[in-house]
Amino acid sequence: MGLIKRKWTPDEAEEWTKEDLFACILSSVVYITLLVGTALSFLLIWTGFVILAIGIILMFLMFFIINPKLKTISEEYEKKQKSYLENLEKIERWE
Amino acid sequence: MVSFAFIDFLWLIMFLALMIGCGLLFYHLGKRSESDFFLAGRGLPWWLPATSVYATHTATDTPMWVAGVVYRYGLTGLWYTFFAAWCAVSAFVSTRIFRRSLAYTQAEWQSLRFSGLGSELLRGWVAGWQIFMNMFILGWVGIAMGKVCNLAFGWPLWIGLIGFSSICAIYVLASGYWGVIMADFQQGVIAFAAILIVSIWGVVAVGGPSEIISKLSVLGKSSMLNPFAFTGFFSGDFPVMWFITMMITAIIGGIGMGTSFDWYTEAQRIQSARTVRDASYSIWSGTALVLVRNAIWAGPILAFFVLYPNIAEQGQYELAWFRIAFEFLPAGMLGFFFASIVAIHLSTVSTQLNLGAVYATRDLYHHYINPKATEKQLVWVGRVSTFIILIGSFIYGMMMTEEITKYLLFALWIMAAGVWLPNILQVVWWRFNSWAYLSSWIANLIASWLIFKILPDWGIIPVLKDHYQFWILMGLCALVYIPITFLTKPEDMNHLVKYYVMSRPLGWWGPVRKEAERRGLIKKSIS
Repeated sequence: MGLIKRKWTPDEAEEWTKEDLFACILSSVVYITLLVGTALSFLLIWTGFVILAIGIILMFLMFFIINPKLKTISEEYEKKQKSYLENLEKIERWE
Repeated sequence: MVSFAFIDFLWLIMFLALMIGCGLLFYHLGKRSESDFFLAGRGLPWWLPATSVYATHTATDTPMWVAGVVYRYGLTGLWYTFFAAWCAVSAFVSTRIFRRSLAYTQAEWQSLRFSGLGSELLRGWVAGWQIFMNMFILGWVGIAMGKVCNLAFGWPLWIGLIGFSSICAIYVLASGYWGVIMADFQQGVIAFAAILIVSIWGVVAVGGPSEIISKLSVLGKSSMLNPFAFTGFFSGDFPVMWFITMMITAIIGGIGMGTSFDWYTEAQRIQSARTVRDASYSIWSGTALVLVRNAIWAGPILAFFVLYPNIAEQGQYELAWFRIAFEFLPAGMLGFFFASIVAIHLSTVSTQLNLGAVYATRDLYHHYINPKATEKQLVWVGRVSTFIILIGSFIYGMMMTEEITKYLLFALWIMAAGVWLPNILQVVWWRFNSWAYLSSWIANLIASWLIFKILPDWGIIPVLKDHYQFWILMGLCALVYIPITFLTKPEDMNHLVKYYVMSRPLGWWGPVRKEAERRGLIKKSIS
């Protein structure tokens, strides 16, 4: 198995795994690079363009890592959502 | 004072017609049910809540806030605005957990996560607190609009406060969240385009980026171009310790729910997304746009600084971006700029009106007053709540006369410090119960006033810097809620198992997970 898992069963996707951790770390780094990179690029400072480019590449990497897992979680959850919503309304109405 | 040409008025009227019309178009969808009036039927693709996140968090006071910190600290000041980055982690952790709970609001989530009397007390408290906060925020952005109109046209403050919020209320009352989200989409597009155009225009008008850089050098302020120009580790106006505190609170805070006040707004967008994945991407990309916008604003604010480097009064330099626009945009563009200000104002007002109404309707009226209410009754209660919140916001707005930044710091920072960790613990630790969470709120309300206001005023302690206030408040409140956690019983196991199976939270949920596995509700973990 490679470093990044891209094929998930519903049960596997329900667990918190290293892919979630990677996504969170990359996401934070991307935000920092977007903020700094855009500010410097707007003033035409060349380091800004480099930082911004790095940020955009990392953003695609983040989606590459987390998207298959999120897709599996979503598809599985949608199957159960209707019964969960019915239960929620019962709680709301004290039934 | 600015004077409008015919074309400026045309821009404004066209934009207002577009915004109100866009919202009103969805009247028939909004009135169908409580779910439609407050969550657009939970069926939105990620890009709609994303633009709403961006549009909502682009308010009239936002460029003032960004201008205030960038004028004082240069690009380093942008870190003050980085609190939005809690979404970096939240998008993949708390957003996922919250979306799976299906709770309309954070208050409702309290009754899914906790059980018994404690959970009901918490639900009522969080709902009441949010209604108050929504009026407060509406008053705050409303008076910011009053200031802008005063600067531009010399109008009394109340005209900007009441006039535009009332216009906005038309489509919020009619279409609810459908109107909010659809108007937000076009307002978000208009606002981003206007921010980009005006910012480029402002930078070019003062001679371009190279001129700004050389003038900063002449002024001996080249460090303003360095995003990491801190004043020392602990010392000075902007120490590294403050930066570290901001990073920790923003990024780690994304694990929890409510670690930022923006969470409550985002929670509604999360639940309106059609899938868990759409919810995650909407929060992530909306916030990415917010950060890019803040960075773009820094350019014209530095341009303003090189033009007027010696403004001491905060209330004056906070208007930097507006002044750049009003002083340099040609006739014909001024109307476009003002219309975009109206757009960013209306997007925030509409969100807060509908958000306050959902707490009043779902958590107070529907849950406690009339649990058997019909969908029609709930939609009408939503409208009445919207109207009451609007009136309340006018009263709050007229009460706010001090500097906007002071209110922002107090509301977003100090009042949240003591509940920052409990907001995370309630997500990640099964043993953390409703009494512990409730006690943390009470302790925080008392301790924050003591540390921030009462003790310094009496001369018992000095006025502490923000990062010291945060860590002290966190420690003081922990002395209350940690013992209470262990002195009170855990939540009912049946309730916890139901919540765990539905939401699958991360963290320390071992006993609950084992019980869920024993009951055959989830498969045993392979690892």
